[in-house]
Amino acid sequence: MIIKTFVTTYLKKTCNERFISKIKRNVTFYQYSTHLYKSNKWETIIGLEVHAQLNSKTKLFSSSSTSFNEPVNTNVSVIDAAFPGTLPQLNTKCVELAVAASLALSGNVQLVSSFDRKQYFYPDLPPGYQITQHYAPISLGGKIFLNQLDGLEYDTMVRIKQIQLEQDTGKSIHDIVPGMTLIDLNRAGTGLIEIVTEPDMRTSKEAGLTVKKLQSILRTIGSSDGNMEEGSLRCDVNVSVHEHETPYGTRCEIKNLNSIKFLMAAIDVEIERQIKELENGNKIVQETRGFDVLKNKTFRLRTKETATDYRYMPEPDLSPLILNKDYITRISNNLPELPDDLKTRIMKQYGIPLHDVIVLMNETGGVKYFEEAVKNRNPQHVSNWITHELFGLLHARNIKFSQNPVSALQLGSVIDCVDNGDITGKVGKKIIEKMISGDSRLASIIIQDEGLRQLSDINELEKICKNVILQNPEQLRSFKGGKQTVFAWFVGQVMNKTKGQANPKLVNEILRKLL
Amino acid sequence: MISSANMYSAFGPAYNPHTIISDQKEPIDQELRVAGGSSGGSAAAVASGMCFASLGSDTGGSIRLPASYCGVIGFKPSYGQCSRWGLVAYASSLDTVGIITRNVHDAQLIYDIISKYDEKDPSSLPPKLRSINSSLASFDKTNSNFTDLSKLRVGIPQEYYVSELSDPIKSLWKRGISLLRSYGATIVSVSCPSTRYALPAYYILAPAEASSNLARYDGVRYGHRSDMDSKQDEKLLYTHTRSEGFGEEVKRRILLGTYTLTAGSYNNYFIYAQRIRKMVQSDFDYVFRRPNPLHLVKNESSFCNCNNDEIFEISNKLRKESHGVDVIITPVAISTSPKVKDSLSSSFLSNSDNTKSLDDSFVNAYVNDVFTIPANLAGIPAISVPFGISPIDGFPIGLQLMTQYGDEHTLFYISKVLENNK
Repeated sequence: MIIKTFVTTYLKKTCNERFISKIKRNVTFYQYSTHLYKSNKWETIIGLEVHAQLNSKTKLFSSSSTSFNEPVNTNVSVIDAAFPGTLPQLNTKCVELAVAASLALSGNVQLVSSFDRKQYFYPDLPPGYQITQHYAPISLGGKIFLNQLDGLEYDTMVRIKQIQLEQDTGKSIHDIVPGMTLIDLNRAGTGLIEIVTEPDMRTSKEAGLTVKKLQSILRTIGSSDGNMEEGSLRCDVNVSVHEHETPYGTRCEIKNLNSIKFLMAAIDVEIERQIKELENGNKIVQETRGFDVLKNKTFRLRTKETATDYRYMPEPDLSPLILNKDYITRISNNLPELPDDLKTRIMKQYGIPLHDVIVLMNETGGVKYFEEAVKNRNPQHVSNWITHELFGLLHARNIKFSQNPVSALQLGSVIDCVDNGDITGKVGKKIIEKMISGDSRLASIIIQDEGLRQLSDINELEKICKNVILQNPEQLRSFKGGKQTVFAWFVGQVMNKTKGQANPKLVNEILRKLL
Repeated sequence: MISSANMYSAFGPAYNPHTIISDQKEPIDQELRVAGGSSGGSAAAVASGMCFASLGSDTGGSIRLPASYCGVIGFKPSYGQCSRWGLVAYASSLDTVGIITRNVHDAQLIYDIISKYDEKDPSSLPPKLRSINSSLASFDKTNSNFTDLSKLRVGIPQEYYVSELSDPIKSLWKRGISLLRSYGATIVSVSCPSTRYALPAYYILAPAEASSNLARYDGVRYGHRSDMDSKQDEKLLYTHTRSEGFGEEVKRRILLGTYTLTAGSYNNYFIYAQRIRKMVQSDFDYVFRRPNPLHLVKNESSFCNCNNDEIFEISNKLRKESHGVDVIITPVAISTSPKVKDSLSSSFLSNSDNTKSLDDSFVNAYVNDVFTIPANLAGIPAISVPFGISPIDGFPIGLQLMTQYGDEHTLFYISKVLENNK
């Protein structure tokens, strides 16, 4: 508001009326749509529908286990396969995870919600209907904040319309056997939460960051792994464009996006397509589109005319889900620290930069591990050892951080030994590799047992240095003659003689002294 | 279990004239009578002495109707007493597992065994509610003498006295009422004003739920799958499988149900029907003097914290103050068992240009359920007790007793009185 009034009063003094009204329009919109889109004529309206698989051990309405990448059709019960006479049994863990997600997103958990059947025929939907929450979802409202901590240059907020519990379908695989569709029901019946946002996003970057933020929040509270590549997070995006101060345009839905990068690319391409159509005088048809990665274009999947009537019907087998305030309070009290609070606190408490915090947060359990190891140690060192060395070494061996064999205690011992000069950084890295391979000893023990201790005894080092100098009179002459590079050679020789265990700093000092 | 009986193409109409096996090579004696639907096979098996008892499912009268036609006991418990796990679902909110036996004692015997809480059935009555229910005051607790029914109040719902009732049924109904009166019961005329809407409401709700529950029969994972080699269009696996696998009446109901759930119809049919259902439930709650345990718990959450004696005292007081009745007595069917020739569906009629009789025959079939449907809509227990033989055709006629939700013991009690005196 302040900007608007200042600019207009200033400009009134210097420019003509038309120009002022143009600036006014842009400035007004600067408050809501905070991007400076290239044409400044069009505004983009973006909404998201996110499906996140819940991190429960068993499915939403049956006791078969949830799975990822398991052999096909091994986690299917008679309920999942919709055999006659089967009935759904609600998994209360899924309800907990959904309530936690709602609370973490500042939503209002509905004390009474109910289940409905969304009906359509498809082979990967065994009962011919999906149990969802169409009329009364478990949570209404909520918001996601984006700011510098998330990588956005300005502040914005994305409102959440609702969160509902629903079942996932099985998988249809069309391209393995020609002429046939193979059905894998492992995923059928897995619990999902569908998170629907209001159309508050204005750029593809905002949309991408919203998804990232959502992933981060869901991972932190443990409701979902939120992994787009693995399929535990799926996003559909709604995009429309309109000229400023005209009503919202017709939107198109883009489905089957399996990474944030593709999501953002698809949005940008779709914005261009819609603007081009409108500028050519055509109308936008409401339809569902897919994204062709190779062509970098969206393409039609189906139009509104052929959209299915889902014949929503209240689920007669399940009574309404009734929660009481104590239950919700209990879950609220057990919520871990949310990403925004966590970022601020870690940066403040330990003085490590935002980038490091983000890398630590990207691994489930990363921050906890860091806070264990950082006790009585230099935080920056600990952060570096984790993010630069440990993560890299695990990744190279294809080990997920959740399976990390190096305890915080072990890592801490390595850092201690490096910091007080017992070993070089290189040796430290080697020790960590040993630990990853299964060595459960502390660094100090390993060093002792295998004599890896860095040579820091000045007298010893002086002796070795003198020896090296004496044994290589030619190089000595060369150095005295002015060839500076030979110094490094001498250092190398000393390191060689000591099998890399000499303290390089001391070696440098001593050689400088002697030479 | 000794065997399972054949049903006319799953959840058939009220008639049950054919089995799937018979190929109709020999003409059926057209004067033969039908066993009733849809648990006709079960009723026939019990009536003929093939077995001691038989299970069935009662969604709109499917146990009580054949029991009346075949002259055996057909008992439908309160919804939620017996687990539906394993019961092929037709209309989930109406389906009730029931029992067919030759006498009340046997029915009660089996009922006591199968009426247990089952965690696999989300609509199974929870243990806490069962305990509250059994603590509520009811007639059978206050009485121990089968010949002294002076504390009993019997309700005759006016709306059940319809013009289509045949005379033998009417007189048998009167005889049943007189019998109870002769033992000292107070006979009261009651009104269930929503009764006339119950039948159409049922025929909106049941097919709607059925269209949903039958969607899983697509031949993909089990059951019949169309042999697609002979078909032209490969994409129509579902269409061919389901057209071949379902009988005519079932297809009719699926289409009807699908229609009422479409976006344009949902508010006009389905929602209205649900409202009528609520009205039918309130009619019964008003008429009965024993409180409905489900509504009690909803309205007075403090009820859950009382012990059993306190519950008895509270409900006994409520019961004494009410002008309601303990049990309702009505006919089960409009007539005795229809003849086979009158019940064959249109696809078997030789003169296909007789379109008027076509419409009539379908609707007439539905009208047979008019007395049995309200108990399903309300979820209250009901029983068909064979009470006499028609003087015209010599076929059995049953009387229906209904009590408040959860009051099976009173139902068995009064059934025994009728049974001992038929």
